[in-house]
Amino acid sequence: MDGHYLGAMNTTAEEYVVPVEYGISSTRMEIDRFIVPTVTIFIALLLFFFMLFPLWSILQLSFFEGGQFGIANFTLANFKKYFTTSYTLNALWHSLYVSVATTIIVTILVFFFAYAMTRTTISGKTFFRNVIMMPLVAPSIIQALALIYLFGRNGLITAHFLKIDWNIYGATGIIVSEVLYCLPHAFVILYTTLSAVDIRLDEAAESLGATPLKVFTRITLPSAKYGIFSAAALTFNLTITDFGNPVVIGADYNVLATEIYAQVTNLYRFDLGATISIILLVPSLMAFILNYYISRKTFAMISGAAKPVIPPSRPLKKISFTIYCCLVSFSIIIIFATVVIGSFVKIWPYDWSLTLSHYKFPSIGGYSAIWTSVWVSIFVGIGGSFITLVAGYVMETRKPFFKQFIYLLSVMPAAIPGLVMGLGYILAFNKPYYFFYGTPWIIVINVIICNFTLGILSSISNLRNIDPSIEEASISLGGDTIKTFFKIIFPLSRVAFFQNFVYFFMRSMTTISAVIFLVSATVHLAAIEIIMLDNDGWTASANAMCTCIIVIVLIMLGILQIVSKKTGTHQEGLVSAL
Amino acid sequence: MSKKLVLENVSKHFGSLIAVNNVSLDIMPGEFLCFLGPSGCGKTTILRMITGFEQVTAGNIIYDGKIINDVIPQKREFGIVFQSYALFPNMTVNQNIAFGLKMRKMPQKLIDERVNEMLGLLGLAGWDTHYPSQLSGGQQQRVALGRALAIKPSVLLLDEPLSALDAKIRVRLRTVIKRLQEELGITMIYVTHDQEEALALADRVVIMRDGEFRQIGSPFDIYKEPKTSFIAEFVGTSNFLTCTKKNGKIQFGRLEFVAANSSDVAEETVYLAIRPENIEIVDVTVPADNCVPSNIVEVEVEVINFLGAVVRITFFLEGEEMFVDLPEKEFEKISLKRKDKVKLYFPPDAFHIYTELFRKLI
Repeated sequence: MDGHYLGAMNTTAEEYVVPVEYGISSTRMEIDRFIVPTVTIFIALLLFFFMLFPLWSILQLSFFEGGQFGIANFTLANFKKYFTTSYTLNALWHSLYVSVATTIIVTILVFFFAYAMTRTTISGKTFFRNVIMMPLVAPSIIQALALIYLFGRNGLITAHFLKIDWNIYGATGIIVSEVLYCLPHAFVILYTTLSAVDIRLDEAAESLGATPLKVFTRITLPSAKYGIFSAAALTFNLTITDFGNPVVIGADYNVLATEIYAQVTNLYRFDLGATISIILLVPSLMAFILNYYISRKTFAMISGAAKPVIPPSRPLKKISFTIYCCLVSFSIIIIFATVVIGSFVKIWPYDWSLTLSHYKFPSIGGYSAIWTSVWVSIFVGIGGSFITLVAGYVMETRKPFFKQFIYLLSVMPAAIPGLVMGLGYILAFNKPYYFFYGTPWIIVINVIICNFTLGILSSISNLRNIDPSIEEASISLGGDTIKTFFKIIFPLSRVAFFQNFVYFFMRSMTTISAVIFLVSATVHLAAIEIIMLDNDGWTASANAMCTCIIVIVLIMLGILQIVSKKTGTHQEGLVSAL
Repeated sequence: MSKKLVLENVSKHFGSLIAVNNVSLDIMPGEFLCFLGPSGCGKTTILRMITGFEQVTAGNIIYDGKIINDVIPQKREFGIVFQSYALFPNMTVNQNIAFGLKMRKMPQKLIDERVNEMLGLLGLAGWDTHYPSQLSGGQQQRVALGRALAIKPSVLLLDEPLSALDAKIRVRLRTVIKRLQEELGITMIYVTHDQEEALALADRVVIMRDGEFRQIGSPFDIYKEPKTSFIAEFVGTSNFLTCTKKNGKIQFGRLEFVAANSSDVAEETVYLAIRPENIEIVDVTVPADNCVPSNIVEVEVEVINFLGAVVRITFFLEGEEMFVDLPEKEFEKISLKRKDKVKLYFPPDAFHIYTELFRKLI
């Protein structure tokens, strides 16, 4: 190659003229000026209209008489009624009790699980990591369904093996099912934290003569403390806002989420439903804000020098951690196995002959509910990942006015319980002129908004990996915003886009609380059908419906794996799918 | 053809930080201009204001007699080459070079012609269907050059384009860029922190420090007549002698030197700078008869570094570490060893006299 590239210079200074006939179109550039403001305003309006407006409707109904905004109408009567009725007030104490209990159990369980994954040399880590992520692919009702099959009034273990009268309904059932539901969420945080903290710190301490216990309490625990608090806050938030598990296994033990539903659906007391929503919003908002500030600190702790070279663990340590991880994994597998097997046997636990009869769904929804769910989820997936990518792009690279404000709006949905958002949607949009009310479209919008935060955060972190010079190169060559986005940014974000798609798809397939108020006589969703079937006594069919959802989500995850492998992006099972 | 580009009292503030402080400069059509300075001196900020990626805080950027402060980057028709190449990874070499032309809605036939012309110009023929990830760093930067030149920009701006490459490729591509500029007659504005690169390429060099222009001149002038002690140290290497001036005589410790033009300086403390290659070795590179006797000193060789074409000898003078560079051929004649004594001569007119020292280098 040497020297050759200088030979072919036939362009001389005389020929060198700016070709005006092929200049950059001025009209196109004039239009381009409006693209970023338009998109910014669109996103702001979207969040205003589909997040703040429903929230406002809830506030209005709970604080103002007849829901009519005005100083004269201001009233605390609803709250007074709530706090003076012992039954409803109990829901608050119940919620706090199960949430605190779940938080403590999950944080401890998951910490040692993550410790085993990051600080020991046990084998089968990939298996354990995938198993602990499994609860993500199912609606947060599977735990309750399985526990009832195992420990319920007719439970396989309680009634048939042990022949005892005890059953799991109530607080115990809620706590156990919530623990099994929250494991993957807490695991992601603690796994990241523990892998990020430099293991050489432990080695340094050991080389200075510290005992293993001292190393653990003085080095490992303190360095992971932000991760621990963050995982705890998230677990608390997930538990207190969960609806699926308590509604199935709670029996008479009412919690805030089930109480909102009962007030609205059974008693038509929208005002009390709204009031309880506000009461639920307070602790979940506090947990969210706490988590938000802590997770900022977690990232500050992550050192670039951290290297996951783990020294071989002692045999006793290896054996005990392997047993521990097996136990946790076994509990999760049992949950899934019970529901899947339960959907194929004739009468659990009396008649174990196999049958497909439970898959002939007796409810109105049936298979049409599954197809609606799939279609809704595909739209949620495409819409959610596209909107969050565009929003992330505009916010990250084009720095519009009010960037901080839009950012704040974008992280808010994570703080709002799905059930509260859903109730807000009824209150705000149940008017004849909102044509989308009562159609699947309101569900699509609702699920996108409810999961907006994680979508936009992952879009932004992906966009930060793209060299800003690439964007500038495109601009300097005459690329406008739309062309730059579609020709360069979008192709470069393909894998992240598809991961986001799968995330939105998965959330949409499995969410219960966000959409329970939005299904109607004509629009059925698979996840909600589970509750309906279980409610009507078709427990085996509820299991079958649950199995269908799991299979569909797993298929989508499989496609993600294939696509990611093809495009050469490194994947680590479900962990990176998050 | 390129037109005159003028910076008129340009300033750029980032909050309370003043990145560029009221600078003015006329950049002539077809000129190769280098902004040279240490990192954080504001050179990249100036480039980004010329490209339109940053807005000026005060002053004007004028191209062809028109103020272009508010012209968007797309309409400036300036080509840019980035340090990180910034090639589009999802496009082939061909598509990368064609990108700007496609944006201009040029007919495909003309695009093909232009792309082929660029491939030939940059020695990339045969690589057109490759993706950037399949190319070496040097090839990628040539693609980036071709992409920027394909739109026939009126000015080409290069932001440390060779910093990410290894030494050999860097020198080779330097020649490519210089030849392109001379053949195409296009104005090139080049930002670098590498003084050797700036001296090798530029018609004019602008030395920047703390957001200001410290010296503007040809590479020759800047090397031979650095205006400040900072430039004397930053461009090339200089030995500094902190001296006191008494009764018109310059004293360095116990030594007394004669320096040309020293009578112009009124201050009591003066700093003499002398480049290592300007120190002579008595009776080797200069006969003793031609020397001013007071400027001859005997020193002990401390370290000898063989650098190829030159040999650098480190010695101490009045406790100060200094260097003398000797052409390898001259060094062969005397074959010095560590701890050998050698007589050095500091020619009076080789000294530059400064009244400030930017900071003592370790």
